[in-house]
Amino acid sequence: MARIDFRDQISRNKRKSFLLILIISIVFVLFGYVISFAFDPGYFFVVMIISVIFTLCYVLIGYYNSDKIAIASVKAKKASRTDYRSYYSLVEGLTIASGMPMPKLYIMDSPQINAFASGRNPEKAVICVTEGALKKLEKRELEGVLAHELGHIASYDMRYMTLVAVMVGMISIISQIFLRSLWFRNSRNDKAQLLFIILGILMAILAPIVVKLVQLSISRKREFSADASAVKFTRYPSGLISALKKIEKDPPSPKKKVSKALAPLFFSSPFKVLGKTHPPIKKRIEILEKM
Amino acid sequence: MLTAILIILVILVIIIFASYFNKFAVLSNRIENSLSQINVQLKRRTDLIPNLLETVKSYAKHEKQIMKSVTEARKALVSAKGLQKKVKANNVLEGALGKLFAIAENYPQLKANENFLELQRELSSTEDKVAYSRQFYNDSILTYNNLCTTFPGNLFASIYGRKKKEFFKIEAVDKKLPKVKF
Repeated sequence: MARIDFRDQISRNKRKSFLLILIISIVFVLFGYVISFAFDPGYFFVVMIISVIFTLCYVLIGYYNSDKIAIASVKAKKASRTDYRSYYSLVEGLTIASGMPMPKLYIMDSPQINAFASGRNPEKAVICVTEGALKKLEKRELEGVLAHELGHIASYDMRYMTLVAVMVGMISIISQIFLRSLWFRNSRNDKAQLLFIILGILMAILAPIVVKLVQLSISRKREFSADASAVKFTRYPSGLISALKKIEKDPPSPKKKVSKALAPLFFSSPFKVLGKTHPPIKKRIEILEKM
Repeated sequence: MLTAILIILVILVIIIFASYFNKFAVLSNRIENSLSQINVQLKRRTDLIPNLLETVKSYAKHEKQIMKSVTEARKALVSAKGLQKKVKANNVLEGALGKLFAIAENYPQLKANENFLELQRELSSTEDKVAYSRQFYNDSILTYNNLCTTFPGNLFASIYGRKKKEFFKIEAVDKKLPKVKF
């Protein structure tokens, strides 16, 4: 297997982040353009200004609060240093191995084995693990999982995946609004307008699907590279491998607390059925065994 | 027109020179910092040991031999100069501690002591941290050496007088845990 160099991965990720934001912004503006023509060409600037302001607010708020949003939406609580000493010392060891600042540590109340990382940069990063992971995993396995999350942090994956999640959400909101607003349109049809309406409907249906597919493929790729980083930090692939094997056998939890938009942030897919934000565990194990 | 191009070229060259200068500086600072990190972790280990010995003493008085060897190994680590020697001393200490914890198995009360368990956990986690800080030290040297030996970094390395650095190695003999006699 071609090893992925870590530093290259970081700059590549930053570049891709920028490109993706650009692409989605363009899609967004185009979308606004089409919608304004579908109603009344005179409204173009009004629609554009409103949608640009809306986008900026949405993206900036999402970006600067990505860690808090993620933590709040799974109802995670802060891990205290006295109660979770081994959790702390494992992460401390890993930050020494990777030369990264210490992230804030959180605990999520769930019997499933899982973990996620969030925050816009390594200084503002948070790591959250489930109670289940702390209970069911051995020290080296837990260390592998934590190293994987730290790998996401080191390559700015959270920034990237959070932005992607925000963008995807935004585009689907806009298309929902558009499709619904069609019911209330006053009916003075001319041909050009009809064309734009059809175009608008087409975009409203296609854009979210396309963006979603892009998101899923990126998300799967990032998992492999975070696994590679985990091995770089711990130099012990077996820990991560046996953690993955345990997760495979772990019974899925009956309660689904995790919203779909957050799924790409997790260590293993929180939805056993959906399972598309993450590559198959077997494949991940296979690659890890080659390292 | 020509002067404008020349000015831009000069600025570009200055930027390139400056950025390589900074790259070397950042990387060698990282190496220094990771070296001090190793020392921090070793210091933390030596600080924990007196406490540990106190706890052991109150439950297992007559295990004098092993306690003496731990004390001596600790002393050797504190007085060791230079990374190579320090790590060597640390390995001796690790061996002695291993023995101590093995002996502790014979003392159920000691084994159940909360303080003792805590120190045991703490010591094993600092051991991990020592290993990790060493690994990061070598990783930092690798990044630095890569920059020194690949084009165009090698050109700038010779201009700025930066040389390749030695990896930190543990000799094969040292890797074996030292024997503790009874």
